[in-house]
Amino acid sequence: MAIIKTNSLTKYYGKIRGIENVDLEVREGEIFGFIGPNGAGKSTTIRTLLNFIFPTSGSATVFGLDIVRHSREIRARVGYLPGEVNYYDDMTAGELLAYSARFYNKDCSKRIRELTELFDLDPEKKIHSLSLGNKKKVAIIQCLLHEPRLLILDEPTSGLDPLMQRHFFEILQEENKKGVTVFFSSHVLSEVERLCHRVAIIKNGRILRLEEMDRLRGSQFLKVTLTMKDPASAPPDVPGIIHSEQDNGTWRLLFNGDINQLVQELARYELLRLHLEEPPLEEVFMHYYEKEESR
Amino acid sequence: MNILSRELRSNLRGLLVWALTLALLNLLLIAVYPSMAADKEALDELMELFPEAMIRMFGMEKLSMADPIGFYGVEAYFMVVLFGGIYAAILGSGILAKEEDDKTIEFLLAKPVSRSQVIVEKLLAWILNIIALNLIIGLLSWLSFEIFVAEDFSRLTLFWMLLAPLLVHLFLAALGFFTALFFTRRKSSLSVSIGLVLGLYFINTIGQLSEKVKFLSWLTPFRYMDAGDIFADGTINPLYALLLLAASAAIVAATWLLYQRRDIAA
Repeated sequence: MAIIKTNSLTKYYGKIRGIENVDLEVREGEIFGFIGPNGAGKSTTIRTLLNFIFPTSGSATVFGLDIVRHSREIRARVGYLPGEVNYYDDMTAGELLAYSARFYNKDCSKRIRELTELFDLDPEKKIHSLSLGNKKKVAIIQCLLHEPRLLILDEPTSGLDPLMQRHFFEILQEENKKGVTVFFSSHVLSEVERLCHRVAIIKNGRILRLEEMDRLRGSQFLKVTLTMKDPASAPPDVPGIIHSEQDNGTWRLLFNGDINQLVQELARYELLRLHLEEPPLEEVFMHYYEKEESR
Repeated sequence: MNILSRELRSNLRGLLVWALTLALLNLLLIAVYPSMAADKEALDELMELFPEAMIRMFGMEKLSMADPIGFYGVEAYFMVVLFGGIYAAILGSGILAKEEDDKTIEFLLAKPVSRSQVIVEKLLAWILNIIALNLIIGLLSWLSFEIFVAEDFSRLTLFWMLLAPLLVHLFLAALGFFTALFFTRRKSSLSVSIGLVLGLYFINTIGQLSEKVKFLSWLTPFRYMDAGDIFADGTINPLYALLLLAASAAIVAATWLLYQRRDIAA
């Protein structure tokens, strides 16, 4: 079942593009990564899903409920972690969590205790005296305390130190095992690699690609680095080379095709060096970005 | 009523500061009255020496300084209306603007609350605060009258004189509430609401100074709750009270409506 489904979701701020014809489907129980550079439309999508802003055209449902008409019912079951944490300065961390909990019709005190201990947070401290990382902890706890069925996380790891980040990922995976769906945005691609089942790549307000992580990992992408004896010779030409760049007689290729063809082609050259490796996903993604940009 | 109770708590200090300051000012002025009134004839003679414009400005043509309530109307009433009005406008605009300025609105609207609920609870919060402000000022002023004023005075007229500012304050807070839709930076919403109150007061004063532009006064809430009228009639004009309340309700309704479809700025 689709937990989040958008149909040609479009948002313009006056004449400025936010997102355009975004079609997404996030399935129940998956961890879904929403990847893109800053300004690509990740936050716009999230803010539209939560009805902070209204779609210009298109529609979307969360839990099968319309995001505009049934926003309140949706939000009762969603935990949202904002990209930038801003809270009431006059409250202590504990007061903020209690205030947050009172919006839900359930007793969250046990869960709050568990989470504050887990994150080692002092609930007596005033929010304004907390460091950025500690504020983020408060934000994480407030998004988990009512045991939501869907977590929407906007750039969740910014401001967290590596140890806390690992902690946080463990919790996400734990929640996910309990059946919680996780939707998170990020521009840090290495995060995605470890956590997500599926990813969507967004750029300039449009979804470029939606991909299973396993397929991406198992894909035939090869990073080929070769140095030719004669720097002037033409680069190899086989179907499947999606990207090539030259630097001082050394060619770097991104290859996604029949490896036998590649080997046959390379046999025609006199080589000084040849290096084949699996490219990091980051490079695969960057390639998608660049290809889109050059169009 | 989670938002309401949070707002009541966080606004409590501001409320007490404004209410007690204004109440104490009233107390001081009322305490001065007996010594002023000791020589009533001199006081009324003094009034006649004032230039016509000044008398109009303070609405003194209908108010007698030689009467304790008249004295209150000249010396204290406008301060309660004006400064309390500034408090009301700041409160009304700030209560909405602060969430967007501090970006806590994203916290709030991610919770299962409808926008109507946000507006209604915040509305209740400022209404209760303004009632409390006037209650504190009113009670302390009445007490001061009982303590310091030895002569007879109409408690009913005093009651209306102390109640009237409430209606003006409600209107100005509603106006502030509405402006917060367009000025979401707290600083700008603050200056806009103070500017609005002072501007309206200024317009009212001009209208009172000159017969030709008399109508200007009627464009402001102040004219509808005029100390001179209340003193002369012994009560507030129920039609005027209704008009002020209706106008306030209309402004609040407009705020509510616009807030429903509003894009929350990132």
